[in-house]
Amino acid sequence: MVSETRSAATSRSVEVLAQKLRRRQVVGSRAAALETLLVLRQVISKARFSNLEQLVAIIRDAGRRLVDAQPKEHSVGNTVRKILHHIREEFHAATRGTVVAKPASFSISKFVLQGQPRKHAVLPKSESKGTLRENDPDDPDSFARGLKPVLMEAIQDVLDELETVYDNISKNAKDHIHSDEIILTLGMSKTVEQFLKSAAHSHNYSVIIAETAPSYDGRIMAKSLSEAGISTFLVPDSSVFALMSRVNKVILGAHVILANGGMFAVSGSLMVATAAKAHSTPVVVCAGQFKLTPLWNLYHEYGAHDFGNPSDVLGFENGDLVDKVDVVNPYYDYVQPELIVAYITNDGDHPPSSIYRLLKETYDDEDNEL
Amino acid sequence: MPVPTIADPPPSAGPKPQGQPSQKTMTKAERRELQEKQRAAKAALKQQPPQGQSKQQQGGNAGASGQQKAKVPPTPQKKSFGAEVSASKQHASASKDGGASGAAAEELTGKQLSHGLRIFSHFGQPKPVGHTIKGDIHPATIRLGLLFSEFKICGANARCIAMLTAFKQVIQDYTTPSHSTISRHLMTHLSPQITHLVSARPMSVTMGNAIRELKLEISGIDIDMIEQDAKKKLYDYINTYIQDRITTADKVIQELAGKKVKDGDVILTYARSSVVEKILLSAHSEGKKFSVMVVDSKPLLEGKELLKSLTNGPNPIPCTYALLPALPSLLPEVTTVFVGAHALYSNGAVYSRAGTAMVAMMAKANSVPVVVCCETYKFSDGVMVDGFSKNELVPLSIIQKNSTDRGLAPALHLETLNPLYDLTPPTYITAVVTEVGLIPPSSISSIPLALGKTSL
Repeated sequence: MVSETRSAATSRSVEVLAQKLRRRQVVGSRAAALETLLVLRQVISKARFSNLEQLVAIIRDAGRRLVDAQPKEHSVGNTVRKILHHIREEFHAATRGTVVAKPASFSISKFVLQGQPRKHAVLPKSESKGTLRENDPDDPDSFARGLKPVLMEAIQDVLDELETVYDNISKNAKDHIHSDEIILTLGMSKTVEQFLKSAAHSHNYSVIIAETAPSYDGRIMAKSLSEAGISTFLVPDSSVFALMSRVNKVILGAHVILANGGMFAVSGSLMVATAAKAHSTPVVVCAGQFKLTPLWNLYHEYGAHDFGNPSDVLGFENGDLVDKVDVVNPYYDYVQPELIVAYITNDGDHPPSSIYRLLKETYDDEDNEL
Repeated sequence: MPVPTIADPPPSAGPKPQGQPSQKTMTKAERRELQEKQRAAKAALKQQPPQGQSKQQQGGNAGASGQQKAKVPPTPQKKSFGAEVSASKQHASASKDGGASGAAAEELTGKQLSHGLRIFSHFGQPKPVGHTIKGDIHPATIRLGLLFSEFKICGANARCIAMLTAFKQVIQDYTTPSHSTISRHLMTHLSPQITHLVSARPMSVTMGNAIRELKLEISGIDIDMIEQDAKKKLYDYINTYIQDRITTADKVIQELAGKKVKDGDVILTYARSSVVEKILLSAHSEGKKFSVMVVDSKPLLEGKELLKSLTNGPNPIPCTYALLPALPSLLPEVTTVFVGAHALYSNGAVYSRAGTAMVAMMAKANSVPVVVCCETYKFSDGVMVDGFSKNELVPLSIIQKNSTDRGLAPALHLETLNPLYDLTPPTYITAVVTEVGLIPPSSISSIPLALGKTSL
């Protein structure tokens, strides 16, 4: 009886977030990731389980409901995957305490045969007989009691990471932007905004910002940066090609970083990146690690199939045009890995070609499908 | 500072009129100012009719010039004509800014620019007030200058036709001084008109080409020719020029490019080009079944006008409208890209509305053919390698008038730049449709020679 009301409460909190995501009341990758994390923490703290499988199943269930609510907000799924990965890691750390330490020597042949070194941390169940005991018939809650404090700590770590993500990304900003450079960016990305502001502490440089129709978010960015004392030029999207020859570096934000090193980003990014490629201008992407997604975009390149409000493009003030014309307003562009030079994340700088490795380290393969 | 030659006044020219010390002239000037303000308001009212109508007015023959002249305020003193004109221009540009705040904003932009990046300093800024031109300016020229500066007449073809039509009036009303000949003196009479137009908006390549041809024609006039005959000759020449190089050329291009539109095609175009519009409409009237994607962008959002004319009538063309950032999502479905041009340089580069280069680049990346439609009178002898070296900025007031949102006011450290043109490298262009046929961009340089131009 008690457990039922508890699970009802947690399921309600999951449902509330799912509603918010569905109604786009929670927007932005970081906000969504934070909310997800808070809900998952609640789910775990209230959950009753006597072995790892049960716990994973509970989290997956909650995660699936959140992801289904807003499949385009990939940071939700990423957060769930990350938590699952941490849980497994903590579990193995806790159970391994009694087991003989793994031989530390790795050879190429072992690497080839066994894959990632971390992989053989998965131990046969029979060996786990330390303080943590799964499926204890005498005290079914002992497993949960033993594991929960460590799990909470792990979640707190992820939370801390999310909260300091901007600081960590912009930590090295001054090494990427130099004095008197001209930087081009587009749209409004919190990450890029922090990055540029942080670079402005040590260098004097100029930023050209494309307005990014139809949201014209670039104006918000321009306002914020100019108020921070950075010399800012706001231009329409159309003039990016003309100005690109004078730009030293293009800095973009990302919506999702894909496993192949490409990304989904605000529409307009592909054009800017292609123009930069045509002028051999390096394109650097600033993004938090929570945007890494074990997804591939091999077959459909059509704007990630997410569309915005057409009235932003052609409003009703245009009279009967609205009836006669199809209006397209895609949210995202798919930017191929060939167009990107580097990703600057809170976990260091990476070329697009090593994103897959980062993914393998961050998530467990079995969670790719939640 | 590499400024366009006649366009920019020396920096000292600005504050000069205000710097007059004499009390008497000050009051006189003030009185005149008031008078001119009222006149400018009246003139602005008259300019309200849309472009098409005003063009029709201009398109009328010089016989209508009397009527035109009656509309333009008569100038009281012949002596101070030049000063009057500049004063009226002052007020026109001030009123165009939509009051003092607009003027202040633009002033701030100018000031900011000097602090900002020097690489932008050569972009043609909105002209400072108080720019004086020596010589008599014909009322038709003043009117045209206003239309230019307010972007009421916009586009290479429209501007060139409007200028030539105004020049017909100027020539009609011109009388050769007793001691000179028309072939020698007329050009000195025309050049302040040209300077005035250039001060309203930088000269387009088409206008430059037409003026050069006209000059050649004027200098070729026989000294012994009777003035009225010479005028008639020039008049006919201008008519022929408009007819041959623009109107008929457009018809031929329409036909040639129309052959490239097939049933089931999806044509993508950017912004608005008068030639592309004609091509699409005529192909549609021939009964071809195709759809059009209109891609548009700030600063001018001209695509909406194109959209209106394409969807007008009982049998509209199926259209899709999107802004420039959405382009990559549209391109997989597109079969051909048609764009217009402002000018073509002899290295095959296309100087056109800002954004065209991006469209061509993305189309090339998606293996979609890019067809540029351009009359041969738009060809320029020069070579251009970069859209940055020569460009024009759209004044803030024009953008604000064209759209509902106010944009962002310039502030400290913040500046809005609205370049009007960009340069599409020849590598992105599949073919150029001209009235002499479809040619690859690499062959552009041979066309003027083939057309009978003797020297480069």
